Amino acid sequence: MTALDASSRIAADTSMASPDRRRRPLTPGRVLSYAALVLVAVCYLFPLAFLLNTALKSSEAFFADPGAVVTSPQWGNFADAWVQGNFGAYLLNSVLYTVGAAAVGTAVSLFLAFPVARSYVAHPRLWNALFVVLLFLPNALITQFQLLLRLGLYNTQIGYIAIMAAGVGIGPILLAGYIKSIPVELDEAAAVDGCGYWRYLMTFVIPMARPALATVFILQAIGVWNDIILATILLPDPAKSPISLGLYAFKGTYTNDWPLLAAATMIVAAPLLAAYVFLQRYLVGGVVGSVKG
Amino acid sequence: MSTYPFSGRKGLRISVGAGASVLAVFALVPAVAVFVISFTDIRGLPGIPIQFVGFENYERFFSAAKLGYNLNALQNTLVYAVASTVVINVFALGIAVLLNGRLRGRTFTRALVFLPTILGVTVIGLIWSLFFNPSAGPAATIWSWFGADSAFFGDPALALSLVIFVQIWAGLGVAVVIYLAGLQAIPEELYEAAALDGADGWKRLRLVTIPLLAPSVTANVLLAIVGSLQSYQLAYVLTGPNNPATQLLSLAIFAQAFGGSTTSGMGQSQGYAATISVIQFFIVGIASLLVMWYLRRREARL
Repeated sequence: MTALDASSRIAADTSMASPDRRRRPLTPGRVLSYAALVLVAVCYLFPLAFLLNTALKSSEAFFADPGAVVTSPQWGNFADAWVQGNFGAYLLNSVLYTVGAAAVGTAVSLFLAFPVARSYVAHPRLWNALFVVLLFLPNALITQFQLLLRLGLYNTQIGYIAIMAAGVGIGPILLAGYIKSIPVELDEAAAVDGCGYWRYLMTFVIPMARPALATVFILQAIGVWNDIILATILLPDPAKSPISLGLYAFKGTYTNDWPLLAAATMIVAAPLLAAYVFLQRYLVGGVVGSVKG
Repeated sequence: MSTYPFSGRKGLRISVGAGASVLAVFALVPAVAVFVISFTDIRGLPGIPIQFVGFENYERFFSAAKLGYNLNALQNTLVYAVASTVVINVFALGIAVLLNGRLRGRTFTRALVFLPTILGVTVIGLIWSLFFNPSAGPAATIWSWFGADSAFFGDPALALSLVIFVQIWAGLGVAVVIYLAGLQAIPEELYEAAALDGADGWKRLRLVTIPLLAPSVTANVLLAIVGSLQSYQLAYVLTGPNNPATQLLSLAIFAQAFGGSTTSGMGQSQGYAATISVIQFFIVGIASLLVMWYLRRREARL
């Protein structure tokens, strides 16, 4: 269980960039490496740049020459897309679903991972096996739909949040691995001082496991934010659509108005891009940790 | 193994109980129920009596009326899984080796390659729909240089390849990051020793890097296979749920159960769709066990 040293290794890797600054001789091999690096970067930057470029064009300018770099940016496209796509309401829905489901899911992961990692519950091995089984469940779209239908939670926001929260994925495994790196003696010392289980979990484990909790929360939040199929099935009412579904519906309506579509796509992508700048380290560490764990 | 040091067990019981209930009700019960309802004629409306029909749904999957549709979906799924797994792993290994070298801008490039992981299928789908839009996109321009034109996602001969291309573009990041972590765990001394023995760059890659990277290869191949056998959101967003050219097995589950559109399909036989789910589950299970067995055996030999 190396979620911890995986993320620190990533951290070390990012900070390694600074001592590289001294000049190295430019050999043909290095020129080739740089050419490959630029090629990779272009493959990822160009589609995004084209999206932004399109989002800033008027329809006429786009169809006259789609590839031309924008000369008179139409910032109004964003306002139009925002209003016509009703993205304000969808954004609120998405924030509610994402925060709600990821918070519940992370709490579930913690409630189970801590006692299992410490063997405070009977049959910890069985629980660990269950954590793995959670990763290999069959496609349960139909039964999740049937469950909500029968519980009277179909087309309700709370039902959708419950289903998304239960998709904890790698969470319990990641957290259990991290918690094992917290010394057991701390539990004992706190217990001797009269601290109860619940208070210990809330006031000691949560602050100490914060990096792992953040990773688990973020990984699940990305899944919820980007979900489209379960939202399609479980929330037929368009007023309850998350932003991913709102964007998909928008695409259906404005099929060929590419500047407007591109602006809408930028609106949906912008919060993710902004968050990515800050969260990249947790994410990368989380992915690596989840594989090693 | 430690003994429980706290005095009361109430907090423990309540929190474990709450966590376990959420998982049991909303994740485990639906997963197990898939197997049960695959033997029924359950429908998408409540109040209609449910009957056990034995293996009828399974017979239907292989019946003459459905076999063509299902074999097409199965074939597309396999092409999709094999092509994306192989290409993702080859490219990811190359990019990881590149990013592991001391190049300026590698942290930035790594962040770029990983970016699609968070963008989600809808945004990725729109980015590439725009790129490949037949009337006015960069791809249409490139095609026109060769005097050709194409409907891209609308062209049955090309649609699946393009969806696979987008899947590769989106899936590279995770694989690169896993390979990078594996590369950084290889001790520098091994390369120095290999260099002393006169091994050039290519030989060092083949004789030191790749063998020591075997666990990462196993993880990546497995992730890519399981992921691509089950993924369908990209195909759904890029080409719709009922396009024969990109019909995948998991998309067929969705299309059969819910009619492929948001509102219709309430009367559909979801028992039959659950049957496809079960068949897919076994295909994914068998494929991953075979691949794991093969790669583990290779790991042991290296």
